[in-house]
Amino acid sequence: MSVSRVSAIGALALTGALALSACASENPAPAGNTAGAGGTAAVNADCFEGDLKAEGSSAQKNAIDEAISAYQTACGDANIDYQPSGSGAGIKQFIAKQVDFAGSDSALKTEEKDGIIESEEAKNSCGSDAWNLPMVTGPVAIAYNVEGVDKLVLNADVAAKIFNGEITTWDDAAIAELNKDVKLPSTPIKVYFRSDESGTTENFTKYLKAAAPEAWPHETGKKWTGKGEGKEKSAGVATATQGQDGAITYVEWSYAQQNQLAMAAIDSGSGPVELTAESAGKTVATAQQVGTGNDLALKIDYATKEEGAYPIVLVTYEIVCSKYADAETGKKVKSFLKSFASDEVQGSLTTQGYAPLPAEVATKVKAAIDAIS
Amino acid sequence: MSLTTTPEHHVPDDGAPTGPTTPPSRPPARQAAREMDNPHQARAVKDILARIVMWSAFALAMVPLVWILWTVASQGVHMLTEATWWTGNQRNINSDDAGGGARHAIEGTLIQAGMTALISIPIGILTAVYLVEYGRGRLAKAISFMVDILSGVPSIVAALFIYAVWVTTFGIDRSGFAVSLSLVLLMIPTIVRSTEEMLKLVPNELREASYALGVPKWVTVVRIVLRTAFSGIVTGILLGLARVMGETAPLLILGPYTKNFQRDLFDGNMATLPTMINQDRGDFALVTAAERMWGAALTLIILVLLLNILGRVVAHYGSVKK
Repeated sequence: MSVSRVSAIGALALTGALALSACASENPAPAGNTAGAGGTAAVNADCFEGDLKAEGSSAQKNAIDEAISAYQTACGDANIDYQPSGSGAGIKQFIAKQVDFAGSDSALKTEEKDGIIESEEAKNSCGSDAWNLPMVTGPVAIAYNVEGVDKLVLNADVAAKIFNGEITTWDDAAIAELNKDVKLPSTPIKVYFRSDESGTTENFTKYLKAAAPEAWPHETGKKWTGKGEGKEKSAGVATATQGQDGAITYVEWSYAQQNQLAMAAIDSGSGPVELTAESAGKTVATAQQVGTGNDLALKIDYATKEEGAYPIVLVTYEIVCSKYADAETGKKVKSFLKSFASDEVQGSLTTQGYAPLPAEVATKVKAAIDAIS
Repeated sequence: MSLTTTPEHHVPDDGAPTGPTTPPSRPPARQAAREMDNPHQARAVKDILARIVMWSAFALAMVPLVWILWTVASQGVHMLTEATWWTGNQRNINSDDAGGGARHAIEGTLIQAGMTALISIPIGILTAVYLVEYGRGRLAKAISFMVDILSGVPSIVAALFIYAVWVTTFGIDRSGFAVSLSLVLLMIPTIVRSTEEMLKLVPNELREASYALGVPKWVTVVRIVLRTAFSGIVTGILLGLARVMGETAPLLILGPYTKNFQRDLFDGNMATLPTMINQDRGDFALVTAAERMWGAALTLIILVLLLNILGRVVAHYGSVKK
């Protein structure tokens, strides 16, 4: 009776090797494939070394990924991670001090909800005021897929009725009224909505509620209250719409572009407005600042009648501490956000389906970033 | 069997060639032979039916397995043939950029699994030794009961427990080590149970022979019992390790993803294959992200498969020769 020692030792060695690799952190980490990213904007940044952690809205993921790539290309020793787990999750982790800043589609709430006041909690966690800094404008497209229709105009009222289930076919008189020179088929309308809780849903329903209060009696919020079939995440509604004749959905511009979906122009009373960086920027420029000082929380006027303004926009914020308990972290956040708000990076975002911040907002944001410590 | 005894008894009685004195016995013998066909046929039919049911159940069970393996392999294999997949990371590669590496995630998965093994193997084996060799009475019963409960804890609950202790109570950052801790909770019961079974298989005669030679109990346990059960214990550990490597819930809650290399378990975000899959799943509409997702899935399957094969090899070559 003998044990085969060789294999026994071999097996032990393997388990050991697995375990020991845990201690192998003294290996110098390769600087990463810095040459990997093509077409990212060049950045002049005062680089930091080490890690910076952020989490939040998935609507700004493509924008912040672009900004991170640009920053990391310039700064080989900086590691910036962004988890696109949703605005709510981002704020929670920020309050729990798990991340250095949060990305959110809505500013910190100043009134009580579910027993907590977000802005107060964030203030306690920071030990100083928490600021909402608008960073990216993500227009929301009403994307559709109807065979033979490559141009479509909607207004808030008709859009609300479509997403409400009141209008059920594409050749409905209300749609035809707005699209006199388009031949509309009798295909039934198939509405897709976001089944997960989403800032996009919140902003889209806010628009419907503000611009068509009679046609949209439902609540606004992160959860969809209209009709249709739910699909998970932006990618889900976009692919579903792509694969179904007669489909319509609301989705971030960047996803509509990535999936080559047709997008409706919106007529708010002064003629149809196509979704472009400029038309979305006009709406953001009319927004009111509701925060005080360097807290730049905005209130968007969804019912805007301004000429050439595309009204369905989503402003996504970076939520930061005004004064970080750890000065080093403050420097990192400041350095990265400075690069994010710079004209070079903001300008490169249009290719990703985002609109840059309007000049006057951008100036305020830059001033606020300078004040972070 | 008992059903057929009556006709069979007739055969030796009547059909036997006992001589010319019994000519009238032929017709009953023929009749008996005819009756014998029926039970044989019935058995044959039952046999075929059982075979069909068994094989179709087997085929049915194989359908999803083969389907999954085929889908993942065919979609992901071309990512794995790129050298950068095994050497690079995802730094500065946005979701609409193609390619990049998975080395950071492979390393993270292995490092976390290694730390998990390092903590849970000694605890698990010693617990099992106590339960089989020493434990009597209430304490042993209580421990055994607790292990049963622990093995029924869903991974998400283990993860939330560690989150509550690690993050909420002590205020420490999420890290690779926190993930390992929650995986330990999942791995200990599997190790205890499999080791226990292996120790119980060791014949008592071996222990008695050892005692008879005057060997103390602890030496008997170390040199005789554990040595005899060694290959089975290692197999159990490797299979348990393969299982926790694919766990996702603790990673989503405790181990934020990073695109960079990160080998420090105690500070900073650490990438793993399941979180890499999850990250790219968010953009599955993009071919570039979907390809990475399939590639990472295939890599994870291969890692788990390798551990499983290793478990078999150890079981085969490491067993005690009789």
